[in-house]
Amino acid sequence: MRIKLFKNATALSAMLAIWAATQPMAALAENGIAKGDTSGKKIAFSNSYAGNSFRQVMIKSFEEMGAQAKKDHLIADVAVVSSNNSVTEQAAQMQNLVLQGYDAIIVLAGSDTALNGVVKDACNAGIVVVAFASGVTEPCAYRVDYDLDTYGKAELDYIASRLGKQDANLLEIRGMAGDGFDKRLHAGVEKAAQAHQNIKIVNEVYGQWTATVAQKEVSGVLPSLPKIDAVLTQGGDGYGAAMAFKSASRPLPIIIMGNRQDELALWKKEYDAGGYETFSLGATPSVSQVAFWVAQQVLAGKKMPKFVEVPLLRIDQKDLDAWLSKVPNGGVVNAEYSQALVAEIIDANANHTPLPAVPAPK
Amino acid sequence: MSLAHPRVVIAPWTYGFIVALAMWIATTVYSGLGSAGSTLSAALAFGAFSVTVGTGQMLVIASGPGNIDLSVPSVMALAAYVSMTIMHESNSMTAPGLLAALAVGAVAGALNFLAITALRLPPIIATLAWSFVFQSFTFNFGGEATLKPPEILSWFAVWRVGGVQAMPVAVMILTLVMMIVLRRSVFGRQLLAAGQSERAADLAGVEVGRVRLTAYMLCGTAAALTGFLLSGFTGGAALNMGDTYLMESIAVVVLGGTSVAGGQANPLGIWGAALFFNLMATMLNTFHFEAGVRFLLTGVLIILIVAIAPRARGS
Repeated sequence: MRIKLFKNATALSAMLAIWAATQPMAALAENGIAKGDTSGKKIAFSNSYAGNSFRQVMIKSFEEMGAQAKKDHLIADVAVVSSNNSVTEQAAQMQNLVLQGYDAIIVLAGSDTALNGVVKDACNAGIVVVAFASGVTEPCAYRVDYDLDTYGKAELDYIASRLGKQDANLLEIRGMAGDGFDKRLHAGVEKAAQAHQNIKIVNEVYGQWTATVAQKEVSGVLPSLPKIDAVLTQGGDGYGAAMAFKSASRPLPIIIMGNRQDELALWKKEYDAGGYETFSLGATPSVSQVAFWVAQQVLAGKKMPKFVEVPLLRIDQKDLDAWLSKVPNGGVVNAEYSQALVAEIIDANANHTPLPAVPAPK
Repeated sequence: MSLAHPRVVIAPWTYGFIVALAMWIATTVYSGLGSAGSTLSAALAFGAFSVTVGTGQMLVIASGPGNIDLSVPSVMALAAYVSMTIMHESNSMTAPGLLAALAVGAVAGALNFLAITALRLPPIIATLAWSFVFQSFTFNFGGEATLKPPEILSWFAVWRVGGVQAMPVAVMILTLVMMIVLRRSVFGRQLLAAGQSERAADLAGVEVGRVRLTAYMLCGTAAALTGFLLSGFTGGAALNMGDTYLMESIAVVVLGGTSVAGGQANPLGIWGAALFFNLMATMLNTFHFEAGVRFLLTGVLIILIVAIAPRARGS
């Protein structure tokens, strides 16, 4: 009886194995760029806020890619509307986009939940909705986003690799209280910190991803802190943190940089002067291009998961000079996401294979 | 309270200083005596910016009921971008850059006032509307990047003479000048008269319009100066550099003992309130409070101080 059951089980598992083996083949058949005709389609981008340099570059990246796609007859038209951090205004704008007959709406939402109603309306009207870099909880929308657990883990793993097993004091600079991105990244940091018992986060401040605010908050709290070995950041706050340590005449700890030119320049200057090392990690403003191609690919008939994870852009010591030479003075490191690269990203998500890295400039 | 103890009436503007002192002591007790000096010097450095922009706001608020300038953050950013563009990281262009920043501020103030009088808009609407216009100018000035200051400006922003930071001292002198102006100068007296009663001032021969125009222009200039200095201090002009100063510029004025109803101003009190705000942030951070608790305590403390402080004369 037992043997029989065992035999049945092996037969079943053999069948399963055959079935499983054929499945990826089917998925592989759909890999690559979907070629459905989208030359008559219109894509709009509803942006919650335009008041910082990151968002300005984000809009520009989107418009450039949109213009190119229009020239290549991949799309009929693109439009960008921005609201001023007001969710009601953004909801009204999205409603207008629905009425204007756009085929896809890309949304960087000012709230995780407040736009669900209008997102649902758009889906019901047959419009493809792609939310990126912000969590829209309405399930009909495609989501394009970073995995912030990876972000937090990369920061802590790097620090642990530098400091070894010795006890270390960390300062965490968070974003804006109550913000979804901040909450998720902080959760990622907390999760990753459990693996490193020797690392202690001695305090946290809110830098609002802004150099001025980060500098002010860190300056205020520094006098009360012991020796800080490393600073966790969320992007846009590394330079301000460094200024705070410098004006307090403290040695510069390992500050994780956030792909801003001023941060990279400071890092290079300190490296040349005294061998200062760190690494830089961050979102790219051109993630708007990923959302654009995801929307285009959905319209072209590509099957894809509802969640598409985008790789973070990481800069290590060896690539510092290459990236620094490409980033505009005072700007944010950016990368072009071509249709082909986005198709690769989508396929990696569908097949659960490692995401393609953003290549360093030559 | 003041009826029971007529002799121990504490002037409203001192409350900010008292609470700031209490917070400084609390922070020092928590984190050790060695931190006292650096905590204070950080609060003074950042307080200086709040005071500069707040002093301008005070002139506008004192010029009459309802007068307020909500364009302050965007004027800061615009002036910073214009001046950084002109200076182009060159030390020799610092003076023209400063003048350009101040000119931007003065013009912005004049435009605010024009919209209020010519279009008969409430100040709250007029200045908010202009702030969007200024912001879009800034976008076109290269909002995609942080513009770097020349080295001499960065050096000045953190310059210390014998251990004392120069910039906060310069701003203290500005406060002193403003006290004398309000008390002794014709403009100061006319401003307060216009703020107390527009009609009475008008009948007494004060050109209320001209006085208010000056107040708005000075406010814009102060915001522009703050933006200019802040760029030196933080390593560049950024689009959102002024955002936190919208509420703060108004809050330091009101907490500093200036009447929202106009006609009464207190430049010295702004320092107390600015130190209070900065030291409170430091204290709440030092004590490891959750963000929600920080907001709650900030709100409660502000309400308490405004409620406890005796009302200013005339209101």
